[in-house]
Amino acid sequence: MTVVNKWSPGHVIMWLVLLVCAAVSVFPFYWMLNGTTLNPNDVLRGLLVPGGDFVSNWRQATTTYNLPLFFTNSLLIALITVLFGVVINAMAAFGFEKYRSRARDRVFGILLLTLILPQIAIVVPLFRLFSFLHLLNTRAAIVLPSIMSVFIIFFLRQNFKLFPTEIMEAARVDGASELSILVRIVAPSMRASFASAAIYMFIAQWNSYLWPLITILKDTMKTLPIAMSSIMNAYTIQYGALMVIVCVSTLPVLILFLTMQKQFVAGLLGSVK
Amino acid sequence: MVQRGAYERYVNRFGWFCVAPSVLFFSVFMAYPILSSLYYVTRRWKGMSNTFIGLGNFVRMARDNVFQAALTHNFIFMIIQVPIMIFLALLLAVLLNQGIRRFRGALRLAIFLPSVTSLVVVSVLFRVLLQTNGFLNNVLLSGHLISSPIGWLNDAFWAKVTIIMAITWRWTGYNMVFFLVGLQSLDTQIFEAAEVDGASKVRQFFTITVPLLVPIILFSAVTSTSGTMQLIDEPNILTFQGGPANETMTAALYIYRQAFYVNFDFGYATAMSYVVVIISGILAFIQLRLLGGERSAK
Repeated sequence: MTVVNKWSPGHVIMWLVLLVCAAVSVFPFYWMLNGTTLNPNDVLRGLLVPGGDFVSNWRQATTTYNLPLFFTNSLLIALITVLFGVVINAMAAFGFEKYRSRARDRVFGILLLTLILPQIAIVVPLFRLFSFLHLLNTRAAIVLPSIMSVFIIFFLRQNFKLFPTEIMEAARVDGASELSILVRIVAPSMRASFASAAIYMFIAQWNSYLWPLITILKDTMKTLPIAMSSIMNAYTIQYGALMVIVCVSTLPVLILFLTMQKQFVAGLLGSVK
Repeated sequence: MVQRGAYERYVNRFGWFCVAPSVLFFSVFMAYPILSSLYYVTRRWKGMSNTFIGLGNFVRMARDNVFQAALTHNFIFMIIQVPIMIFLALLLAVLLNQGIRRFRGALRLAIFLPSVTSLVVVSVLFRVLLQTNGFLNNVLLSGHLISSPIGWLNDAFWAKVTIIMAITWRWTGYNMVFFLVGLQSLDTQIFEAAEVDGASKVRQFFTITVPLLVPIILFSAVTSTSGTMQLIDEPNILTFQGGPANETMTAALYIYRQAFYVNFDFGYATAMSYVVVIISGILAFIQLRLLGGERSAK
């Protein structure tokens, strides 16, 4: 690139645009973190210096608003979804990619057709199904429909494509069974892709709103997003405690992002490959 | 020969074994709901019982002002928000990639950061920040930029602006990452050649960068459009159940409310979701045709 005159007007505008956008992006994070230390009025006003109410806000969040319960619910549901989801979707991706047949290609085509289907289009029949199964207000209701993900199968299939089939052939010649090829040879080298898929599924479930909102009415079963949503419906809102809950529910995703940026972004980018 | 056939059958069986669990989940939680929606769409619910009404739900839709307004709001959000966000994301990506050399990583991280928040958290944050006596109004008032507080959440016009601001805040950095990856795959020689020919940076942006990134822009446009057609968290929480007076009601939120909140009318809700699916499909098709067609013509 050619060297641009360092303080030309264009250069200044460019930096201004970037810095303003960065500040606008980061400010709400500072504001919500700082909000955990303020009394409700100062949260609303948007006081930017820390106050002394952190302990009482935290107490209110954990007692009045039951934060530990909702956090545990969310975490449990997300982890179970990831555990089953990665295994089942990875198996499918492997099967579709490394055991090509006309019939399976056709099945994969049918799966792909639903990739762009809006969730709102199936929630009514899905709700009727779960009410028929007497599974409303259970963790299973949230977990079961989100285990299979066409997007994850698609993403992992792209990654399995990169695994050389010759290695599998060599193992076959050595007498390895197909299952042990998958478990012992292919899977270990796919760890990074599995991590991306796991992160993607964890975040999707951790943040899921519409389906839990429909299926979960019992207070004790609520997840963090549903709990926040009902707090916002209440007549009086304890804003300081709310900021604690908002921070706690953002923290796991933030940590995942900061510690595993590469896999995090790979999961996002999976769809454009 | 016989042995070889047996081996192939074994391998084929293993292939089915691998895909079976997913296909089972797909059948129960995706295919069955889609197929059974064909039943719901023809029915009208009254309390616990329901009756066949054929296309009656679609007739009802034609007279339902709230649903039509909701669809209009989806279109407003889409037509205004998607281009603003894509332009902004593209601009930021280009500035980060070609404009500056220092603090590139830090700025990219900062601008991407909103993508780690959930839509519920975004809605909660903006609802608190944008109260009439809230932070933003206080800043604007003390800066003498406005003379009286803006009703970000309770004015028909400003509530829509609020939704657009919230979505833009949440998704610009996310889309920027796609554009950055696209930019990094471009050959820098093109820009050097353009520089030699005396093309300005602005001209390079519009005549080189944008055309070369069309596939990624297209991807962003299609996913963002389908996102705005499905808006539900933000109008439900941020502007409180599509308020003020249904002015930010969206199709998905209205469907949810008809099915699970006010009327429990599963048939009508299903019929409306059909309309949303069809509109989303048509929009995706048009975008692929417009942008994709232009690309192959060049």
